[in-house]
Amino acid sequence: MSVKSRGVIERSLSSFVDALQHTFDAEEIAKKRGLLQRLDPRVKILSILPLIVIAALTRRLRVVIALFAVAIAVALLSKVPLGTLAKRVWLAVLTFTGFISGPALFLTPGRAMYSLPILGWSVTAPGLRAAVYLVMRAETAATFSVVLILCTPWSNILKALRVLRAPAVLVVILGMTYRYIFLLLRTAHDMFESRKSRMVGQLEGRELRKMATASAGVLMSKTLQLSGDVYLAMRSRGFQGEVYVLDEFQTDWLDWLMLALFGSIALLAFWFGR
Amino acid sequence: MNGPIFEVRDVTYRYQEVTALDGLNLAIMPGQRVALLGANGSGKSTLLSILDGLYFPQKGSVEFRGEPLTENRLQTPEFEFDFRRRVALVFQNPDVQLFNPTVFDEVTFGPLQMRWPRDQILLRVSEMLEQMEIMHLKDRSPHHLSTGEKKRVALASVLILDPEVLLLDEPTAALDPKSESQMIDFLVSCSGGRKTVVTATHDLDLIEDVADSCHIFQRGRIVATGTPAEIVNDHALLLSTNLIHAHHHAHAPGELHSHPHRHGHRH
Amino acid sequence: MHIPDGYLSPSTCAVLYGVAVPFWYAAFARVKRLLNTRLIPLLAVASAFCFVLMMFNIPLPGGTTGHAVGVGAATVVLGPWASMLCLSIALLIQALFFGDGGITTLGANCFNMAIVGSLVAHMVYRLGAGRSALSSSRRVMAAALAGYAAINVSAFLAACELGIQPLFFKDAGGAPLYAPYSLHIAIPAMMIGHLTVAGLAEFFVSGGVVAYLQRTNSSLLQQALSGKAEEHASQPLSRTNWGLTRPLWIRLALLMLLTPLGILAAGSAWGEWSVRDFSNPEMREKIAAVSGNIALPARQPQGLARLSSLWSAPFPQYAPPFVRRPAFGYVMSATFGSGLIVSFFLLAGWIFARRENGLSKGPP
Repeated sequence: MSVKSRGVIERSLSSFVDALQHTFDAEEIAKKRGLLQRLDPRVKILSILPLIVIAALTRRLRVVIALFAVAIAVALLSKVPLGTLAKRVWLAVLTFTGFISGPALFLTPGRAMYSLPILGWSVTAPGLRAAVYLVMRAETAATFSVVLILCTPWSNILKALRVLRAPAVLVVILGMTYRYIFLLLRTAHDMFESRKSRMVGQLEGRELRKMATASAGVLMSKTLQLSGDVYLAMRSRGFQGEVYVLDEFQTDWLDWLMLALFGSIALLAFWFGR
Repeated sequence: MNGPIFEVRDVTYRYQEVTALDGLNLAIMPGQRVALLGANGSGKSTLLSILDGLYFPQKGSVEFRGEPLTENRLQTPEFEFDFRRRVALVFQNPDVQLFNPTVFDEVTFGPLQMRWPRDQILLRVSEMLEQMEIMHLKDRSPHHLSTGEKKRVALASVLILDPEVLLLDEPTAALDPKSESQMIDFLVSCSGGRKTVVTATHDLDLIEDVADSCHIFQRGRIVATGTPAEIVNDHALLLSTNLIHAHHHAHAPGELHSHPHRHGHRH
Repeated sequence: MHIPDGYLSPSTCAVLYGVAVPFWYAAFARVKRLLNTRLIPLLAVASAFCFVLMMFNIPLPGGTTGHAVGVGAATVVLGPWASMLCLSIALLIQALFFGDGGITTLGANCFNMAIVGSLVAHMVYRLGAGRSALSSSRRVMAAALAGYAAINVSAFLAACELGIQPLFFKDAGGAPLYAPYSLHIAIPAMMIGHLTVAGLAEFFVSGGVVAYLQRTNSSLLQQALSGKAEEHASQPLSRTNWGLTRPLWIRLALLMLLTPLGILAAGSAWGEWSVRDFSNPEMREKIAAVSGNIALPARQPQGLARLSSLWSAPFPQYAPPFVRRPAFGYVMSATFGSGLIVSFFLLAGWIFARRENGLSKGPP
């Protein structure tokens, strides 16, 4: 978090661009002919979601590692490049979780296993277990999530949520939110770009703060304006308050087979990880 | 139907100290193709929104098919249902109109609201996408489309309901020349027959193809009416209503029909 | 502050989802009633705004950057219930699409940031702004403080949720199963960062947005603020806001106080009990500082019986210091503390409602 204030615009811009980039990557992989891509989105949700939950909550390290292997297998079968996974998921999760669990290596009370040479801090056995648990669990859950997301268009994921009894209103709102996030990102991006091009020299922290909050204010104004206009556009097309979701999903034998397979894996994992 | 499909009488509309429409009178006959010409801010977009029952005038009245079009009447579900099916508006800003996550969802939105059965929807949507040549964009998200593509999707999502009245707000704005001519072709092809088409634009190239009669707007009033040919030739009028720029030479009368050179200045 | 998957135990996740669901339901019903069909585009676009706002990095005094959640701005402009929904949606998208925050912990994250955050921001704003003019700087300050308070309460709750994990959920070898840090580490770690860095970010964004909207004489702000006043004018405050939400809050407070029961009942590994003087903070600190190798002398299988007897004895006897099961004291302090906060706001809101009712009853 220690970044010079002059870098704030760059950092915000780059996170905008990253978000945009992320979707383009996602669409690329979703178009390939891999295992997950072929499955009905509802089946995917019903298969993968339980695995994520079980991976996150299980008590046995062995089970977590087994699930991680399953996740990698699924990724490979779905033609998700491992390099992408490594860069996007594994590194990020390791950094964040590692950062959190690093100190736990030393602070958790228990039998000391190994001492650091200069500092003399000792890594304890329970500490190591805890750290590995945390990291592996987070990596597995994240891998499953990201593979699912990369292989399925976002709108299909939303529609598939209905099989979990998510209300249609929620699905519609999520769909619109997704759609408008990108519009707002672009608007914010353009706002920053235009300010950046008008700036000579560096702004001090105080001015940057003012600018950032003013930008937030403008964005909010545009947001509220946009919602009013969109509402009118919806009314114009006959919207009277009811929402409907239409999907073109069709299941075939492969879907049922995979559902059964994933279901069995989930049950086994649950049983052994109690 | 004998009388006008839309009858606008002495309509005034004010918004935050700006008078968008000032005592406007207009009658549109069924099947007519009308162009509303005017510079930005002249009130034509506002009129379209009023015709579509989205805004309501502070003074004056609007009648649709001989019956008053009021806020109260539009609150009744049956009337609104019927009205929305018959009258369609294509907004100027496609990002406002395309609010669904994918093109497919966008085009199915109208039919879903009209409660069509699922199979019929799927069939009609396919036909529409083919017709507008956007089948390859079916699963794309709006933010991945070019402006021309967005406008085609907007048009498709509205035409699928086969409305009687088509209101178009600046259909060719911000389009590159190729997309623009494509759009004009589409508009011409879908404005045949019994459809009433009202196009609001400041693009003089467009009106000859999509309209039989034009009204020129200035500061919320109609200041002139005529056929496209008459209007395009009346250079003094075009200058005074800010539809052409003073620097450009106007072509000699008679040279009206489709050739690449423009008559007016485009911003 | 987004808690990722794997940091909270199943029972913790379940409890927090359980608490979040009635709030989501109530918020949805309430917003739908107020906004009717405008609900859908407004929620969608506002959620997109919250999401985008969470990507703004703001420079803070001292040369660091932080990012705001947007709960202050959202609550002031949209109202607490709409804000709750919008933030929950933004969090859902962040979890699903960007992996920021876990899926199992979504209930917890929504509870901390969206639900409690919005309500705290709302109450602080109402108390702070009072009846001042729409364009007064008092409102700006009230909004800024509301954001600051909200984000810190959220952080505190998150710290508590994380902090109680290692006390209850260990594997056979004694290693923590989920979040590895107990309360005495988690709370300071989270709070220091939020009382300063992130809290300031939220402070500036909330205040700044309101100031900006004031300066541009925005009709939106007028609409938002006076719209609420109109709603209150047509239905007395005590009947709508508090009538609807008070039972919820009371249930919430009770639920929080009963959390130890829930966690115990889920069958997680608990063993011996220690009876603590939980109203003595020094004692708790001392216990925490001791490394945990000392076993408890006596097992207490009837923990529940103990629990009920404990509640009837608010100042339990002191026991020798050890760390393996000070859990009870910690949990009690955490949930009791949270329950206190909730009760405080309940009380404040009730007093506020009484006063407003009294005022509106003016001379005939």
